[in-house]
Amino acid sequence: MENAIEVKELTKFYGSLLAVNHVSFEVKGKEIFGLLGPNGAGKTTTIRMICGMLRPTSGTAVIAGFDVAQKPREVKRRIGLVPDISNLFGELSARVNLEFMGKLYGLDKKTRRERIDKVLEIFQLKDRQNDLVKYYSKGMHRRLTIAAALIHQPEILVMDEPTSGLDAQTARLVREIIIDLNKEGRTILLTTHQIEEADRLAQRIGIIDCGRLIALDTPDQIKKSTEGMRALEIKILNGTDQQRWIPIISKAEGVDSVFLAEGKIRILSKDLAQIIPRVINLVDKQGGKIENISVAQPTLEDAFINLTGKSIREEPTSKEAYLKTRLARSGLR
Amino acid sequence: MKQLTSLMHSVWIAENDLRQSFKSVRHVVWSLLFPIFMMFTFSFRYGATGPDVQFINFLIPGIVGMTAMFGSINETMSIVWDKSLGVFDRILAAPVSSTSIIVGKTMSGAVMGVISALVLLIIGTTLFGVSFANISAVLLIILLASFSFTGIGTIISGLASEPREAMMLSNLLRFPMMFLGGVFFSVEAMPMPLPYVARALPLTYATEALRAIEIGNTTIVFVDAMVLLVYTVGTILLGSRILMKIMTR
Repeated sequence: MENAIEVKELTKFYGSLLAVNHVSFEVKGKEIFGLLGPNGAGKTTTIRMICGMLRPTSGTAVIAGFDVAQKPREVKRRIGLVPDISNLFGELSARVNLEFMGKLYGLDKKTRRERIDKVLEIFQLKDRQNDLVKYYSKGMHRRLTIAAALIHQPEILVMDEPTSGLDAQTARLVREIIIDLNKEGRTILLTTHQIEEADRLAQRIGIIDCGRLIALDTPDQIKKSTEGMRALEIKILNGTDQQRWIPIISKAEGVDSVFLAEGKIRILSKDLAQIIPRVINLVDKQGGKIENISVAQPTLEDAFINLTGKSIREEPTSKEAYLKTRLARSGLR
Repeated sequence: MKQLTSLMHSVWIAENDLRQSFKSVRHVVWSLLFPIFMMFTFSFRYGATGPDVQFINFLIPGIVGMTAMFGSINETMSIVWDKSLGVFDRILAAPVSSTSIIVGKTMSGAVMGVISALVLLIIGTTLFGVSFANISAVLLIILLASFSFTGIGTIISGLASEPREAMMLSNLLRFPMMFLGGVFFSVEAMPMPLPYVARALPLTYATEALRAIEIGNTTIVFVDAMVLLVYTVGTILLGSRILMKIMTR
């Protein structure tokens, strides 16, 4: 299958700050490709370069056969961008917003009207089409943002954190929309910091951390990086702060990684039979009581931690990571 | 064909901006209320035998120029809001050239300046009986002034990183310009070195030209129009350069 997106050695410096470091990957036509990484990893900067909104310091991005540096307008015609925050005109109605987008993409009046009616119907916004967007709920904002990206019927849809900040029901609806759009034949490049989302939606995943692409494969193959490992989940009794046990348990011999997942301590190890008594002893010696213990198969999150050495749930705390996120998300500054 | 498409992009961007501004009736009313208030407050100046007609004839052109300044600069502040709310990204992601975006934003700023100034011109001429010898010349000066103020607004919007900073920067320019631009006091009556400062401000030339039209002094009108043209070209070029740099990062 022909590649819809080819990124080679893409690099971006913000002053002296390296935001994206020689990132290379391809997205096949009609594929859902997920760029997975924590906040501040360089995902937004990467897609802004792909969409022709940010000039790379070095490297190339070829979209649908057009080099974004040489033919940015050709690239923009073929891409529909769904940003992580709704960036529609709040003082205007949904219909007027879509009209404006249709005009910018060069659609004639008749086509515009037909497409607007169609997307409003698909995204269940027809009843509220004349209301000002500023009065929309978060879910309606999201649906309209996707609708606006589809008005010119792009072959490639780039979605930045498509379900970020949405309630579970709306997030599920957006995921269903993504799958449907892919079934219609659209290539989808999405960024996410939610492992479950990448696992559920993407046919292939690129894991990006600190501006570098550190893994690129199908979710199943990435999970195999934990081959031979098993996961042990324990919960320590008496409402003790579970986080306090992480450094203690990580000292036990044979433990590959320890982290908190959904209120439980998750331990990865290749030698679980040896680890279980050691951990029980260690907790016992430190005055803790194990409430619950279970063995599980490694997940994509385990693979992520195994590859990056940190949990994806960790927020960037360093000044650099904060600055990078701010620069990328604010768009212009 | 390509140029026509680019021009249409600019028109749609300007139309979209103006549509948003006029959608908010409060926004329009508030922005016009200030110059209307100033016009009425200062018009209550009486001479020995009744209202000071000479001062009203002096005041109205000044207020009209000042309104063009407020209207244009306020409208260009939308650039900063667009940047901070991410809506600028929406336009940047579309197949629209940076030049079309800048031209569109400039058009909306200038149109807002002209419309605001015309409202005050109509009020001034109907309520206070002020008349201008040549209405085409009045429109030309208002247009040139609006474009030069738009250029200033674009520079501020390009330099400011967020709306609050833009408001502070624009107030830093607008209020001294209002008092030193010959709106309420004649530049010649200002103590030294204020006339030199006044001569550096585009509002001074706008008010002076409008007053010159009232009395039919074509030489001053022509010279001031040329100065405003230079200001327009200079500020728009500089503003575009700043915006272009941001857009093509």
